[in-house]
Amino acid sequence: MKKEKLILSFIAVLFGLLVAGGIFYLLQAAKTVPSNITKIDPVVSPTPTLIPSVFLILDRPKNEEVVTDKVLTISGRSAGNAAIVIVTDSFEDVIMPALNGDFSATVKIDNGQNIIDVTAIAPNGESVTIKKTVTYSQEEF
Amino acid sequence: MIKFLLISFFIFHFSFFISVAKAASLTPTPDDKAQAIRDQLITNIASRVAQLKLVEKRGIIGTVVNVTNTQITIADVQDNTRFIDVDELTKFSNPAAKEIYGISDIEKDATIGVLGLYNKESRRILARFVNTITIPYIVHGGVSAIDSENFAITVTEKNKQITADVETLTRTYAYTQKDGYSRSGFSKIKENYSIIVVGVKDIKDNQRMTATRVIFFPEIPARFSK
Repeated sequence: MKKEKLILSFIAVLFGLLVAGGIFYLLQAAKTVPSNITKIDPVVSPTPTLIPSVFLILDRPKNEEVVTDKVLTISGRSAGNAAIVIVTDSFEDVIMPALNGDFSATVKIDNGQNIIDVTAIAPNGESVTIKKTVTYSQEEF
Repeated sequence: MIKFLLISFFIFHFSFFISVAKAASLTPTPDDKAQAIRDQLITNIASRVAQLKLVEKRGIIGTVVNVTNTQITIADVQDNTRFIDVDELTKFSNPAAKEIYGISDIEKDATIGVLGLYNKESRRILARFVNTITIPYIVHGGVSAIDSENFAITVTEKNKQITADVETLTRTYAYTQKDGYSRSGFSKIKENYSIIVVGVKDIKDNQRMTATRVIFFPEIPARFSK
């Protein structure tokens, strides 16, 4: 009797698995993938673009930043052979970046709003300018 | 026999659902409660931090496009239109004004500096300080003509030309690889040099300015001259 029950349980499990497998197979077969969809990569003819000989990335200061220190660090990256001109309301300087193009300078800013004008000039005369506004204020609000 | 077979089949299949239902209906342990409180706290803190970061101090400069009693519209240095909200706490100033200065005194085309609270969501600034200021006019370009008699330089910048008057107070500098950044003079400036002129724009003549500082580059040819 016990052996019979065991065999029957085994048959029941097997039957259940067969039913589940059958349903799974039917569901998978019902899914149809449209065969007419073919991915076509558009062939774009490359248009020649003039690569500028100079670039300028200004990491610091942030535009429209409010600072509580009058000594401001200006840092960024440019072409290694470019001259970096920094002009503020009351200060100007020309620096050369490092060989990898990194540059950093400190300037003293005035009270209130200041425009920081940084220009990178390549040896061929090409230039890029970034203007940022920095405000010196110790007002609490 | 068939009855037993059916019972075995149903027990096997429904046992999965029973275990899931049992797991869901378990009573929370103290650890779960602590975790829930922790999650709620993290959510609340994150929400508060987001609120605090939504507003920040900012200072901008721009040219007045329009003024009303509660709002100033300006074009900033990058030529973007910016909206400035003004309330009863906003303070106005103008170094040139002798009497009390207020929003009604701000005129169209005036250059103002605004310090206030910038809302990142609305992208508006609630002004706390509005000052009428003068900003330096900076020209980057090439020397296209020199008037030695009148001490004036014509600088070509992209598609426009501006004549800069060099005064006795104008500080002139040159930059070369050999000498670096050094003091120079008007007579050293030649046509086709790259040049940067800082000064004040002429109110009457849009194509003229008075130079306060001149930096020229004898080794760098002008890109936009003639």
